[in-house]
Amino acid sequence: MRRLIALLALLLLPAVAAHAQGDPPGMKGLFLLTDFPSQTVRAGETTTIRVKVNNAGLMPEPLALSLAGVPQGWKVDMLGGGQPVGSVMVGVNQDVTVQLRVEVPKDAKPGSSNIVLSAKGQQFQQATLPLTLTVGTEAPAKLSLKSRLPSLRGTPRSAFEYTLTVGNDSGKDLTVALSAQGPANFQSTFTEGYGSNEISSIPIEAGQTKDVKVKVTPPRDVKAGDYPVLVKVAAEGATAELRVTLQVSGQGRLALSTKDGRLSGEAEIGKASSYTLVVSNDGTAPVEEVEMSGTVPANWKIEFNPKTIASVAPNDKKDVQVSVTPADKAIAGDYVASFRANGRGEQASADFRITVTTSTLWGLVGIGIIAVALLVLLGAVARFGRR
Amino acid sequence: MQRKAAREGSPFTGLGPVFMKEFSDHLSSARMMVLMLFVIVFGAFPVATSLQTLRSAVDPNSFIFLRIFTLEPEQVGISFTAALNFIIPLMAIGLGFDSVNSEFNRRTLSRVLSQPIYRDALLLGKFLGGLATLAVALVALWLIVLGAGLILLGVPPRGVEVARGLSFLLVAIAYGGVWLAIAILFSVIFRSTATSALCALGVWLFFFILWPQLAGALLVGFAPSEIRTVDDYVALQSVGLGLMRLSPGTLFSEAVLGLLAPETRTLGPMLPSQMRGAIMGAPLPFDQSLLLIWPQVTGLIAGMIVVFAAAYVIFQREEVRA
Repeated sequence: MRRLIALLALLLLPAVAAHAQGDPPGMKGLFLLTDFPSQTVRAGETTTIRVKVNNAGLMPEPLALSLAGVPQGWKVDMLGGGQPVGSVMVGVNQDVTVQLRVEVPKDAKPGSSNIVLSAKGQQFQQATLPLTLTVGTEAPAKLSLKSRLPSLRGTPRSAFEYTLTVGNDSGKDLTVALSAQGPANFQSTFTEGYGSNEISSIPIEAGQTKDVKVKVTPPRDVKAGDYPVLVKVAAEGATAELRVTLQVSGQGRLALSTKDGRLSGEAEIGKASSYTLVVSNDGTAPVEEVEMSGTVPANWKIEFNPKTIASVAPNDKKDVQVSVTPADKAIAGDYVASFRANGRGEQASADFRITVTTSTLWGLVGIGIIAVALLVLLGAVARFGRR
Repeated sequence: MQRKAAREGSPFTGLGPVFMKEFSDHLSSARMMVLMLFVIVFGAFPVATSLQTLRSAVDPNSFIFLRIFTLEPEQVGISFTAALNFIIPLMAIGLGFDSVNSEFNRRTLSRVLSQPIYRDALLLGKFLGGLATLAVALVALWLIVLGAGLILLGVPPRGVEVARGLSFLLVAIAYGGVWLAIAILFSVIFRSTATSALCALGVWLFFFILWPQLAGALLVGFAPSEIRTVDDYVALQSVGLGLMRLSPGTLFSEAVLGLLAPETRTLGPMLPSQMRGAIMGAPLPFDQSLLLIWPQVTGLIAGMIVVFAAAYVIFQREEVRA
C-alpha cells in the first residue's frame, strides 16, 4: 500500500510543477508581449516601450531580435538590462523583458507608423509584434491638482493648511515646481506630506500622485473676509491650478496701558490715588464685555470706574479710572499692582509700580517736639538768664 | 529787684569772642590732635577694607558710594558707621568734659565773667565752639572718605548719594552734639575734671554695654504671660525698640541705616502682610527716607537741646567765686 502511494506521488509531481508555472496547460510557443501595442508618442521626445519575450514550453535557444518598418529619422534602440542587446534567450516557461527606446525626431510628421518587432530562433521558433506608434499633435494634460478641503476658516492668528494632491498624468517622471499666489503679505509655504521641510518642487513618477501641504499665513492685521490663494504646479510646460480660499474671521486683541505709557505712580498711605488706564483693541473684531480687575497687596483697596466696558471696537481706546488706596499700615516703598482687562476669550494685563509715600504729618510733629525743647531752653533763659 | 535789673540786654553779648576763643583753643590743642588721630585711624581701617572689597567685587547695589560707609568688611567686622557710632561720643566727651570746671580750677571763670559777657553766652559759646570743632573733624573725615572713594572706585557719586551723605554728616554732628551736651552737663555739675570725665564716660559705657541687656531684661518684665497673636508680638517688639531708642547710639544707627541704606523701608517690625506685593530691594525716594528717620533725628536734636538746657539751668544757679 505504501508503495502505491509513493508511485502515485511520483506521477503527480511533474503535473503539479507545470501548474505552478502559471501557464495554461497545453499552450506552447514563443510570444512577444506589450501592454499597449498602440501608443502615442511626441515629436522630439523619447518613449520607452516595455516588451516581454515569453517562452511557453519550448526548448530555450538564442533568439535574434530585429525591427522592421522604422520610419526615416527615427531611432529605436533595444535595451536589455540597460544595455543595447541584439538577441535574447528565454528559459522554459520564463520571460525576459526588453525595452524599446523610441526617439522620435523633432520634425516627425503627425501620423501613424507601424513597427514590427520580431524574435527569430535558429530553427523554427519565431514571434512577431506589430506596434503602432502615433505621433500626437496636441500636448495632453499631464498634471492634476486637487484638494479635499479647498476652503478653510480661521482667525488672523491661525495657520491655514491645505492638503493638495498633485498627480502626474503623463507618461514620464516629472519634477513639479510649486508656487502659490495670494494677496499681499500672505505667506505661503509648501511641505511634503508629513514632512517638515519646506519645498519648492517635488519629483513625481509617471502616473503617480503625491500629497503636498501648503500652509498660508495671513498677516496679523488682516481684516475679516475671504481671501483666495491660487496654487500653481508646473513641470515642463504643463501646469495645473487650484484656487483655495481662506475665510478669515476677525479676532479682537486687548492691550492695557496708560495714557503716556508710564506704568508707575505714587500713592499716599490711606489715601486714594487715581490713575487712568487705557484699554485698547488692536485686533480686527470688537471685544465685548471687558471686565476690569486687579491684584494689589493685602488690605489695599482698588476700584475701577467703569468696572465693565460694554464693547471695545477694533482700533478703539477706552479710558478706565482706577483708584488705589494703600493700606493704613502700609510701609513706604515700591509695590507691584497688576491690572487686568478680560474680554470674551481675550485678556490683557499690566503690572503697575506704585511708590507708597508716608504722610508728612509726623515730620511736622517732630519739628514741634524740637520747638518744645527750644521753648524749654528759652524758658530757662527767661527764668535764669543774663546773670 | 536788683536781679531783675541785671536781666537786661541781649544774653548773646560776647557770644562771638567766646565761641572764637573756644574754637581756636580746641583746634590748636594737643588733645584735639590725639582725638583726630584716634578717629582717623578708627575710621580709615573699615573704609580702606570696604573699598578693597568694593573694588574687587561687583556690587549690584546702585548706591555704591553709600556702601563705603555701610559695608562691613569680613577682615574688620565693623563698618565705618558702626565705628563712628562708637567714636563720636568719645570725641565729644573728650572735647567737653572739662569745658566749665577747668575754668573754675584755673580760676579764670570770674575773670571772664567780669567782662561784659553773660553766663548764657559763655556756656552757649563753649557748646557751639565744641560743636564746631566736632563738625570740622567730621567734615574732614567725610571728605577723606569721599575722596578715597572717588580715587579708588573711579566713579563720581550721584546727586542723591551726595545728598544722603550730607544728611548723614548732619545726623553725625547732631549725635556728637548730644554727647557734647552731656559732657558739658557733667563739667558744670562737678568741680573736678576727673569726676566729670569719669561720669560722662560712665554714661557712654552704660548706653553701649549695659543698656542693651538692661532693655532686654526690662522687656521680659513687660512681656505678657503668653503671646497669642501677631499683634501681641508686634506690640512687645515695639516696646523693646522704644526702650532701645532711649540710647542716643540706637537713634544714630537707625538714622544712618535709613539714610545710607536706601532700601530700608521701616525701622520697626514688618508684618508679612505688609511685605506682600512689595518690590524688595527697591530704594526709597530720599524724601521718604528722611520721613522714615525723622523721629530719630528729632530725638537727637531735642535731646541735645534738653540736656543743654539742663546744663544751662544748673550753671546759672551756681555760685561763682573769685
